[in-house]
Amino acid sequence: MSAIALRQVDKIYEGGGRLVTALDHIDLDVAQGTFAAILGPSGCGKSTLLNLVAGFEAPSAGAVTVFGQTVRKPGPQRAVVFQEAALFPWLSVWDNLVFPATIAGTPKAEYEDLARELIITVGLAGFEKHWPDQLSGGMRQRVGLARALLMRPQVLLMDEPFGALDAQTRLQMQELLLSVWERYRKTIVFITHDIDEAVLLADTVHVMSARPGRMQARIDIDLPRPRSIDLLMQDRFNALRREIFSLIRGAH
Amino acid sequence: MSELTASEIAAVSPRSAVLRLPSVRPALLLLQTLAVPLAILLIWELSGRLGWIARGILPSPSAVAQGWWQWAFGHDAMGLNAYSGTWLANVAFSTKRVSQGYGLAILVGVPLGVLIGWSPVVARLVDPTVQALRPVPITAWLPFSIAIFGISAFGAIFLIALGAFYPIVVNSAHGARDVNRNLVRAASMMGASPIQMLLRVVLPSALPSICTGLRIGLGIAWTAVIVAEMIAVKSGLGYVLWDAYYIGRMDVVIADMVSIGLVGFLSDQLILLLAARLLRWKQQR
Repeated sequence: MSAIALRQVDKIYEGGGRLVTALDHIDLDVAQGTFAAILGPSGCGKSTLLNLVAGFEAPSAGAVTVFGQTVRKPGPQRAVVFQEAALFPWLSVWDNLVFPATIAGTPKAEYEDLARELIITVGLAGFEKHWPDQLSGGMRQRVGLARALLMRPQVLLMDEPFGALDAQTRLQMQELLLSVWERYRKTIVFITHDIDEAVLLADTVHVMSARPGRMQARIDIDLPRPRSIDLLMQDRFNALRREIFSLIRGAH
Repeated sequence: MSELTASEIAAVSPRSAVLRLPSVRPALLLLQTLAVPLAILLIWELSGRLGWIARGILPSPSAVAQGWWQWAFGHDAMGLNAYSGTWLANVAFSTKRVSQGYGLAILVGVPLGVLIGWSPVVARLVDPTVQALRPVPITAWLPFSIAIFGISAFGAIFLIALGAFYPIVVNSAHGARDVNRNLVRAASMMGASPIQMLLRVVLPSALPSICTGLRIGLGIAWTAVIVAEMIAVKSGLGYVLWDAYYIGRMDVVIADMVSIGLVGFLSDQLILLLAARLLRWKQQR
């Protein structure tokens, strides 16, 4: 059984008196414990796809299921890492991190150890009392990632989480995510428009085309794990990204 | 005239800058700050002493100070004076009414405003009524208030609460409406209940805007208490203001005006302090 399954999913918006098809007959399967990247140009509906899996929006047609359950509304089994981190600015780093646990009413003893472990894993030790406004974009995203992991979700949904970061910080965050994935082995859906990022991180890359948003191809990334950013220099990596690049060019 | 070379300028200017800045600037700043108020006081005092304006109409600053002193610290032995020693009591009366009316406005205005901003249903139910009543100035409510509550403290409290209510409810609603959609989504994917969403996401999000409303509301509360006390109550700074005018005690009138300004300023500072504490996460940039 797929961890995440989309069957013939359409998403149609009404805007300015006409209908816009954002997603057109989307099929998608993500196996448990694997990392799936959704790659596509802006406007291809890849963020809409993620919003459907998260339950923020409902499909116009078709079915979205996570572990066999139809998605009807957002919930803690499907943790989301947002593009702009979406931290609560009035809470400290620590309070942001444990916010989902306090929402769920989890006793402190049950989440505190994991929270401390996550603070160290994402490299935020010593920043627990900072406000989000005092952090750089990369650090805010570390909090967002740790917060999602604290929820012990079935799946992790990441919406271009490193898209707004500078190139160097992005590399650091990609390396962090690789090590986090090795450690927690979550099922991840990762939205990106960056070919290198998709190949580096994912087990499967799902390439989308725009207007209307369609699934164009699925490429298995057979690079060995554990991975590091050293892969970026290797022939196999470059062969894969060339393959995807020509796919995307062929679509336009 | 010979021009200075670059090296000469470099040699001279840093030292002169270091020497002159600390000693001259604070004194100059103080002078700039105080020049206009001092000039006004001086001209005002002179205009009285030189007979430009009749004393009965505009008492000089020194006469006001004297009258104020008697109002604050006077006792029966100082002669026949209806206001002797009643300053503190009247300040207390007005402050108490403002606290009660303003407190009521906060208790109703903040929750209602946040609900209007957050829930389209509450907005449709309540907002039209609020918006329809809002253009009616609180001064226009005076006869209504006296008819319902009579000449009583509650009439004043009603007017104060009503006056302060509008800016508080409008700003709270504005803040709650503008809550970042991604923060709402973040809380909803964590499984937040509607109550948790309201108290732990929408309310703190709206706090900066709520604080703005609280500040504007307090200013209106002080306006309302003076108006209400002039007509609908027999004590407080507003009552003394009007009463002193009727018996020709312009020194007390002016001392009263300055007193109102002073307590208004101090209470505003209190709200600013509270806001700085509530919004300390905002000032860390």
